[in-house]
Amino acid sequence: MIVAPVSADDDVLRVEHIAKSFGPVTALRDVSLHLKKGEVLGLLGDNGAGKSTLIKTICGFQKQDSGQMWLKGQPYEPKSVEQARTLGVDVVYQDLALIDELSVYQNMFLCREERRSRLPFLDRRRMKREARAALNEIGIHLPRLDVPVARLSGGQRQSIAVARGVYSEADILLLDEPLAAMGAKEGAMILELIARLKAEGELSMIMILHNYVHVLESCDRVNMIVDGVIALDKPTAETSLEELTEIVVDEYRRARLAAQAQEAADAAAEASAPAAE
Amino acid sequence: MSVSDGESPVTAPAGGQAHERKAPRAAVAPLTLIRHALTTREGSIIVITAALTVYFSLSLSVFFTTANFENLLPYFAPYAILAAGEVFLMINGEIDLSIGGCYLFAPLMFYEFHNGGIPLIPCTILALIVCMGIGVFNGFVTAVLGVNSFITTLGTLFTLEGLTLIVSHAEQLEMPGAQVVSNATGNHITSFASAFGAGTYSELFWALGIVLVLQVALTRTRWGLHTIAVGSNRIAAAEAGVKVRTVLIRNFVVCSTLAGFVGILEAVRSNSITPDPGAANSVLLDAIAAAVIGGTLLAGGSGTVVGAMIGALFLGVLQDGLAIKGVNADYLDFYLGVAILVAMLINRYVGRARRRSGLG
Ligand SMILES: Nc1ncnc2c1ncn2[C@@H]1O[C@H](COP(=O)(O)OP(=O)(O)O)[C@@H](O)[C@H]1O
Ligand SMILES: [Mg+2]
Repeated sequence: MIVAPVSADDDVLRVEHIAKSFGPVTALRDVSLHLKKGEVLGLLGDNGAGKSTLIKTICGFQKQDSGQMWLKGQPYEPKSVEQARTLGVDVVYQDLALIDELSVYQNMFLCREERRSRLPFLDRRRMKREARAALNEIGIHLPRLDVPVARLSGGQRQSIAVARGVYSEADILLLDEPLAAMGAKEGAMILELIARLKAEGELSMIMILHNYVHVLESCDRVNMIVDGVIALDKPTAETSLEELTEIVVDEYRRARLAAQAQEAADAAAEASAPAAE
Repeated sequence: MSVSDGESPVTAPAGGQAHERKAPRAAVAPLTLIRHALTTREGSIIVITAALTVYFSLSLSVFFTTANFENLLPYFAPYAILAAGEVFLMINGEIDLSIGGCYLFAPLMFYEFHNGGIPLIPCTILALIVCMGIGVFNGFVTAVLGVNSFITTLGTLFTLEGLTLIVSHAEQLEMPGAQVVSNATGNHITSFASAFGAGTYSELFWALGIVLVLQVALTRTRWGLHTIAVGSNRIAAAEAGVKVRTVLIRNFVVCSTLAGFVGILEAVRSNSITPDPGAANSVLLDAIAAAVIGGTLLAGGSGTVVGAMIGALFLGVLQDGLAIKGVNADYLDFYLGVAILVAMLINRYVGRARRRSGLG
């Protein structure tokens, strides 16, 4: 039997022994992590390490094969993205999850549409107004909110996805590479927004970033996934660019050595195969 | 007529369903108006249909008359309803061929329920519930089991057409409730019949009502938004929290139910249940043609119910006009086919111009 972790008091989220495979590919072997209230946790890991898989499990998009999650001390088993959202967990996906055919404001309010009182009709004016306010607050100025998002630049699209997550009234926000498509200026605006949210102290965040400088600047703590498990868990104050880089380079060396060993073993097996006949 | 090549997306006048219309009404020049009409999603088919109507009106004295308008209605109204349902599925990136089956099967169910002693209105409701069940089945097999909807609904189409032949013994039946009754005030049709298909404008009212409701649902409700989202990018829609399967199943149900309803209207109008799969197949194809001509993409993500209705009107005007012109029956399908191709090409050209001009 799994019991709630003892230190659950100030943890808004705990993930325990999560495993997830896709057919023959094991994305997550045994991942445990925790997130404190108001904390910004940076999640690192190589391409294909399983970061997005972990995020999609926490946000309710897919279910883990095994392992438990706890939200504010309660068992947390989201059946859908919508259910996770009502429990206060929201997400900005790596692929942004925008609908090309829908307009900026329709995308920002997708699945949280505002209706006119009790009628089924959407309150377009109110959604547009609120979308405008949210984008202004981030510092993104789009001339029009009723054009399909297909027409916007990569950075603008990403801003819309981030704005959708940030203004969702969530208290846990998962951000999967929120700066990937952005230029330097847009990226700085988003990091500033994250710093502002952190200062307010209400929102807890898990953020996947590739730039270690950004991680050290914006996050309180950093976790690194290697081989489907969390291989490093340190406050950013206690680590450095050199250490993070060292771990990755080390990991790369080990992987190369392993590959070479495997190659040698294969070659040996091949050489001995005819003899066995 | 140049369709605003030089304009940037930012300054181009708004048009299309998803757009604000803030242009000052009084200042709109006629040319702008025409351009505006052409650049809305329904614009080109409206212009094409209007041109066709003008042509027939000028070349045929009997064309633009009330009597002919009433003749034309059966060529138009049923297809507008069928196409309205099909538009929702086509926006989803799916297709429902089984509407031909529901169209054929629903009046027969109605007949059987009535034979069982059930009154007319409850018979209608029961027959429509059967159609809803067919929609749920189509939706389940497509959305949950993952079978391509073309295949799923092709199967349902043949199954229902076969069932209709089996149950009816391939014999024409008289539609209950549609007979002309005689009493002290003379011969007249029942109020059931006049409401459900036999009244001159009954089908037209149903068509206009259903098109209005579904167009509003498509552009101004969650259901419509989620339908577009599922058709445009199914993975992104699911990630955002759209209940993709529910949306798909619901649209299959709407489509089948409308098809059953049209089947009943047409059976009442003609006072007969004719188990003819060939006729049903041609009804089905005309309905899909109306939706496509009206500007709905087979690939999904975009479409309009009003456009599909105009597409149905285009087909109706064309068939009616050619019939009055006395075109040899052998040539009718040929002209129809060519006209559909031409209309589609114009649609495409204008559609590209619209996208270039930065409108939705
Ligand atoms: N839906 C899926 N189906 C099959 N394989 C998947 C799926 N999602 C992720 N994977 C695989 O799982 C591994 C981890 O992917 P992902 O979580 O996206 O990595 P990261 O975000 O760290 O780059 C990869 O090998 C990827 O190919
Ligand atoms: Mg990823």
